Amino acid sequence: MNRISTRQLYFFLACVAPVGKLVLLPAQLANFAKNDLLFPALVQIVLSAAAVFCVLLLARRRMTFYGLLSETFGKIAAKIIATVFAVFLLFAALLPLLEQKLFVQSVFYDTLPSVASFAPFYLFSVYLCARPIFCCGRTWDILGPLAVVGLAGVLVLSAPSADYGALLPAGAAGGSGFLQGFSGAFPWFFDAALLVPMLGKIDYREGAAWKGALFYLLGGLGVLFFLATFYGIFEEISVNQLFAFSATSKYFSGVTMLGRIDFIFIYTLALVMAFYCALPLQGAVECALQAYGRNRVLPAVLSIAGNALLFGLSLALDYKFADVLKAVSGTVFWLFPVFCLAVPVLLFLFTYKGGRSETA
Amino acid sequence: MKKLSGKLKTDVKELKSLLPAEDILTFEFVSERGLAFAVVYADPITDKELLGEQVIRPLLRYEGEAAAQAVAKQLTSPEIRTEKTFEKLSEEVLAGNPVLLFEGADEGVIAGTKKVFVRAVAEPSTDVVVKGPREGFIEDVKINTSLVRRRFKTGELKMDMVEIGRRSKTAVAVCYLEGTSVQPVVEEIKKKLAAIDIDYIPDSSYLTHFLSSRPFSLVKQVGTTEKPDIFCAKIAEGRVGLLVDGSPIALTAPYLLIEDFQSSEDYFVPPYRATFTRLLRLFALIVAIYLPAFYVAAQLFKLQLFPVKLLLTIAGSIRDIPFSPSLEMLLVLLVLEVLNEASIRMPKYVGMALSVVGALVLGETAVSAGFVSTPAIIIIAFSGIGLYAVPNLIEQTSVLRLVMLLVAGSVGTYGIVLATAFVILYLVTTENFGAPLVAPFSPFVKRDLRDTLIKYNLGSLPERPKTLKSPNKRRLR
Repeated sequence: MNRISTRQLYFFLACVAPVGKLVLLPAQLANFAKNDLLFPALVQIVLSAAAVFCVLLLARRRMTFYGLLSETFGKIAAKIIATVFAVFLLFAALLPLLEQKLFVQSVFYDTLPSVASFAPFYLFSVYLCARPIFCCGRTWDILGPLAVVGLAGVLVLSAPSADYGALLPAGAAGGSGFLQGFSGAFPWFFDAALLVPMLGKIDYREGAAWKGALFYLLGGLGVLFFLATFYGIFEEISVNQLFAFSATSKYFSGVTMLGRIDFIFIYTLALVMAFYCALPLQGAVECALQAYGRNRVLPAVLSIAGNALLFGLSLALDYKFADVLKAVSGTVFWLFPVFCLAVPVLLFLFTYKGGRSETA
Repeated sequence: MKKLSGKLKTDVKELKSLLPAEDILTFEFVSERGLAFAVVYADPITDKELLGEQVIRPLLRYEGEAAAQAVAKQLTSPEIRTEKTFEKLSEEVLAGNPVLLFEGADEGVIAGTKKVFVRAVAEPSTDVVVKGPREGFIEDVKINTSLVRRRFKTGELKMDMVEIGRRSKTAVAVCYLEGTSVQPVVEEIKKKLAAIDIDYIPDSSYLTHFLSSRPFSLVKQVGTTEKPDIFCAKIAEGRVGLLVDGSPIALTAPYLLIEDFQSSEDYFVPPYRATFTRLLRLFALIVAIYLPAFYVAAQLFKLQLFPVKLLLTIAGSIRDIPFSPSLEMLLVLLVLEVLNEASIRMPKYVGMALSVVGALVLGETAVSAGFVSTPAIIIIAFSGIGLYAVPNLIEQTSVLRLVMLLVAGSVGTYGIVLATAFVILYLVTTENFGAPLVAPFSPFVKRDLRDTLIKYNLGSLPERPKTLKSPNKRRLR
């Protein structure tokens, strides 16, 4: 059972992956695209689904990312590409981590806690990253239903307060708003890149590629519904609601009687998010291990090194989140389409051989 | 290994030299035809009445030849066998089986007249049921195997006996249904048992250490039960069971965490009732682990978690408490654990006094004196009760509760979320004998969910759990 089953993959694509898009992305999209925030998100979801499709088609060859690269480009080039990809995954992990840190500090505490309050996350991440990557599949079996419960709970509590008419008239933000929203949303749609290090560990079944893409689109529908609800509740002030899913449900009428029962769902989603945010780091460690060989201590060493680096960065950038967001979603946003869309598609074009599944 | 010489006096002397203890006695007698016999036996553990009736009396009139097989045929004991070496014979004497030696024989005859001191088969106090069988295992492996055999009238039930312990030579019965249990699991268990090199096995719990893939793990990796009906049901599902002499607790493997949420009674009541009680157990366990932690975290870091009216009540209660919420909760928890430990170990007649001291003196007076608040006592009491809803997981959940409390006191609710993430990750990556601990939830096995937290009726459970990989898939035809 040391492989990721297709069912576990579907849980990830349909349930776990959407959770990462519920914190800061809604406000970011509302900032650029206003009431048209659904359109850039929809295009991003469709593009990511296509990239997921390509990666899963490669999974049928049952070869690792490094194996595919070395077969096509030779070992030296494969080592370089795998290393660059690992570095990209570390970079991709930065924004979700900072986002999660801010989310935790504002939602889990009444007063602003010290920087150390988020430090235990890195202990968890070190432990997760040192585990073999197929362990993710096992966690998704648990996290998938939890994510559904969390998201459904938040939506059920939020939907009655939403005025979906606020999304009309469509197209009011214009082309530039759409384009800005589209490009600014790239750092949140790196799910295809997350699957790349898992190549060779996926227990591919026939039809898994298009089913995976379909499940990703299904999860995307959940995100779109949440975005619509979010904008329906906050409308013009959506841009100020940085931690979307903790903000939408607090207007539920039962809150005054029962307390913040929505926190049950928010904490459930936070639990799922903890795993999701550590995933790029785990992917980076896996890429490095594939390229440079695996022994008893290397997973732990790489895991500690990767997490220490990001912990250091999160400390250094503690008060510079706005600058980081601006840089990642503005100046260097192109890195994301390159690594999350182009790399899977190019990898597919160069290495796909068609036919039925191969044995590793 | 030294063999018998056929000279009675020499052989008795040799055997006695291996067994120099004072309670190893020899009884010598001569048959009417003049054949000399000697019985070597361990006095405290041999049933002398049976020995006289089934061994000595038939031989007093023995007229046959001086051969072990011929002598053995005269004995009326149902358990008769022969051995040629002194080492084997001495082991039998120490096990309570007298050894018969006689002039001219190069084999000793062993009679199974062991004296067995056992308590009656009774309902185990740890697993009481209203409906269903009330028998429980006892400390004698033979009686325990008979309780199992009585439930399986089939030759497919195998009970392979092995001895563990250099000095205790504890008998362990490996029980499984041939063709239903997974043979590699049976082999792996036997291999692990054979590899144990320890001098003494006082209880079956010693074996769990050797059978676990993660011996130092917080979570159980081998199932335990005191009830033959549960034991047999698990064997019938394809598991392998272990009965250990001297222990009323039987072991089963592979173990799934969900087993401890199931009670034997669930199978004797309507499925909707079983489902309700299983969900209740899960709820109780979650409350037991998380309630004290969330109470502390909410007070320290996130007051919004309380509804306003409750917050005002709590604020009134904790106003004059000299300790921080986490220290207060920790102290109350510590008192509960001490009371719990004392109530288990204390003689029964002191139990009532202990309850009075615990409830009135420590509880009431501590609140009146302003040391602890009433909500803290209520929360710990609720948590304490919740813990006992799943009695087989008490050791694990009480530790988890303490960990959650410490994390909540230092990091707050996010600490609880992360600690939960740790627990999930740890649980999903633990497996033993090829079965993942949290199956059928992870890996998700849809069919097996029918007998987990939700209990379907018997007609909907025609197949054995897929997780256990039994070669005999169907149980209901």
